[in-house]
Amino acid sequence: MRAAFPFLLLPFVWMSRNRVRRRERGDLLRTGLFGAVGLGVCAALFGGAFWVTRELLAFAEFGDYLLRLGLSWLFLTFLAFLAFSGVVTALSTFFLADDLRLLLTAPIPAGRLFLARFMRTLGQASWMVIMFLTPVLLGVGAARCAPPAFYASAVLIVAPFAVIPVAAGAGATLLLVNILPARRARDVLMLVGLGFAAALVLILRFIQPERLLRVESLPDIADFFATLQSPITPLLPSFWAGESLFAALQGGFDPLHGSALWTTALAGMVVLSAAERRWHFAGYSRSQEAPKARVTPLRIVDWVAHALPLSTVRRQLLIKDVKVFLRDVSQWLQLLPLFALVLLYLYNFRALDLDRIPYMSGFLKNVYAFLNLAMAGFVLATVAVRFVFPAVSSEGTAFWIIRSSPVRLREFLWSKFWAGLVPLLLFTEGLTIAANELMGADPFLKIVAALAVVFMTCALVGLAVGLGAVYPRFGADPTQAAGSYGGVAFMILAVLYIIVTIALLGWPSSMWLFSRIRRVQLSAMREFLMAASFALAIAISVATCLLAMRSGVRALERMNR
Amino acid sequence: MIAIERIVKRYGAFTAVDDVSLAVAPGEIHGFLGPNGAGKTTTLRMIAGLLQPTEGRIVVNGHDLASDPESAKGSLGFVPDRPFIYEKLTAGEFLRFHGGLYGIDGVGITARVHEMLDLFELRRWEHELVESFSHGMKQRLVMSAAFLHRPRAVVVDEPMVGLDPRGARLIKAVFRRMSDQGVAILMSTHTLEVAEEMSHRISIINRGRLIAQGTVDEVRRLAGDADEHFTSVFLKLTGGSGLQEIDEVV
Repeated sequence: MRAAFPFLLLPFVWMSRNRVRRRERGDLLRTGLFGAVGLGVCAALFGGAFWVTRELLAFAEFGDYLLRLGLSWLFLTFLAFLAFSGVVTALSTFFLADDLRLLLTAPIPAGRLFLARFMRTLGQASWMVIMFLTPVLLGVGAARCAPPAFYASAVLIVAPFAVIPVAAGAGATLLLVNILPARRARDVLMLVGLGFAAALVLILRFIQPERLLRVESLPDIADFFATLQSPITPLLPSFWAGESLFAALQGGFDPLHGSALWTTALAGMVVLSAAERRWHFAGYSRSQEAPKARVTPLRIVDWVAHALPLSTVRRQLLIKDVKVFLRDVSQWLQLLPLFALVLLYLYNFRALDLDRIPYMSGFLKNVYAFLNLAMAGFVLATVAVRFVFPAVSSEGTAFWIIRSSPVRLREFLWSKFWAGLVPLLLFTEGLTIAANELMGADPFLKIVAALAVVFMTCALVGLAVGLGAVYPRFGADPTQAAGSYGGVAFMILAVLYIIVTIALLGWPSSMWLFSRIRRVQLSAMREFLMAASFALAIAISVATCLLAMRSGVRALERMNR
Repeated sequence: MIAIERIVKRYGAFTAVDDVSLAVAPGEIHGFLGPNGAGKTTTLRMIAGLLQPTEGRIVVNGHDLASDPESAKGSLGFVPDRPFIYEKLTAGEFLRFHGGLYGIDGVGITARVHEMLDLFELRRWEHELVESFSHGMKQRLVMSAAFLHRPRAVVVDEPMVGLDPRGARLIKAVFRRMSDQGVAILMSTHTLEVAEEMSHRISIINRGRLIAQGTVDEVRRLAGDADEHFTSVFLKLTGGSGLQEIDEVV
């Protein structure tokens, strides 16, 4: 092959063009919705960065110091994210991607294949960081009325900054695939992910940013900044990027840190390229051995399934679903960022010091209890769209087994419902109870929230399973089902359902709380309306679940005709 | 030509291919037979450059695959048993990209793509996405891609799977024509009639080891009966028919 490496990226360009040209049903809705959400997030980031930077201007040199520190920490967070993302993405692009079966049989020079795969890895691993950084840096620049050179410098700084951790991550993957038995590489990645999540929580726990909010702990703030200025940070590319950007923001130029970024990025590329030429094929060859991986028997799943009062069909469907899920490490891997976020979420409730404002704390705690319920609902919807919505699609090309067997499709779909409901109910109930407990919400609200979660979980799991059956994608990767037309439709309906349910629960709960705090007797009519509001919330939940499941069963039955 | 010399492939303690050697001369169609899990696909994937042999040497048209992989792959066409095709590309785009990988570009590529699409009766579908193709059409598209760069050696894994009789006849005719033009073809198949009809020589692999090699008649004699049906010969060499067990179970 004589063409330069970008030729190898052509299929992705052509495929994107074909997707745009041949729009599928719901593409416009999806693009519009995601575009609007994306623009909203970007606007919020821009506004936030602009506001913080403007506020810091009031503190003169101390503000400058805080801005430098903030930029350095922002880049440090991204450095960790990019390195982890680089490890995971490189495993896919360099070793597991389907098109490697085509490309490796072609006479492509190793260097060109490396460059093409690295560009793909870099793009996939860093697009989210770039999307996040762009409005933030634009906001910072706008607030400081930065010269045009700042924006050009930002591009020249962010580019090598992204290359360094992704190259390091890709190198780690290369090492991992070559050293460990390939079948274990994914498992080890899971551990890396766990470590990453744990590190994130530990760092936040360590620096305790909430201390900034406590006026009485002002003397501690010096310690806080001392903690932030770890002695190792000047050796990291995140520090170089932060310093270079700050210099550009002030109309200057920081050749030391700028050249440190570029030379490290180029050195990283050269070393990685040499290592890939030497060890990539051996690693790829080993990764092909993965299908012969040792089987984990997971006998406990059989024992539990046999202990449950289930029909033979439902028991076997349950065993199959649970084992397939547990044996697919890539599924587990996607749960890790979620667990990290949940830990942070709970930690925030623990750190929330509402007693500082005693006259408001009772009111605020109860408002937070409902916010917590809404948050739990959104987390539930997100988990459901990723793990429950694709339940039918994940049967994939093996769905003929179900369709040709004497299993009623109603029974099949309800088994999917129960398999999704139990873990999600445990997860959401645990999350809600823990958050309300940590916050010290009113006992009445704790009970309302705990009961509401049961109905919300039933409704959202039923909606996810039902719509997943109405809009299945048997041919495609089930992990991408969340972004399909059906997935987007589910998210819209789920958000609407959560808002309506929270409103229906919040109004009577707040009435009851106020009457108790103010010792006011509620009228019979008002009590009736409050009970009706609770009943309506329950009725909507049950109806959502049953209607969605029924349309799912009908859609599957229509498939048989 | 294709020459493999004493190749071994081990997965941990399991030896999938054990000391296999064979040579396919220019113009020869070599049938590569064996029961499921015998090591056929592993051997072919090593020749295609998708798997690294634990031991041994592979030479394609005089180029050592380990030391000169680009030249070796450049003169080889590979049709895998489970081919990868970009589903969101059209047939024409896929062939153009494939041609580019083998250094065919510029004005020549369009004419060559049309030639291959005509040959494999896919011209009508040139601008259709691959995802809308039937299994047989995808199989023919992969063959078009494998022969696009006029390889001097071809490795084919199960070429007849999913093809209708017309498609199967077409593939056989293409293989014969290529063989006449001096192309070395190594073809794995479970369809013994196809192997018997098409192959100048055959190799039978079982549990990773070559157990028979030669012309169809030579292999028949090896099994002890020159007039026996080839399926019986194959079953005798690879470990019995299993019919007795079937009777007992059924």
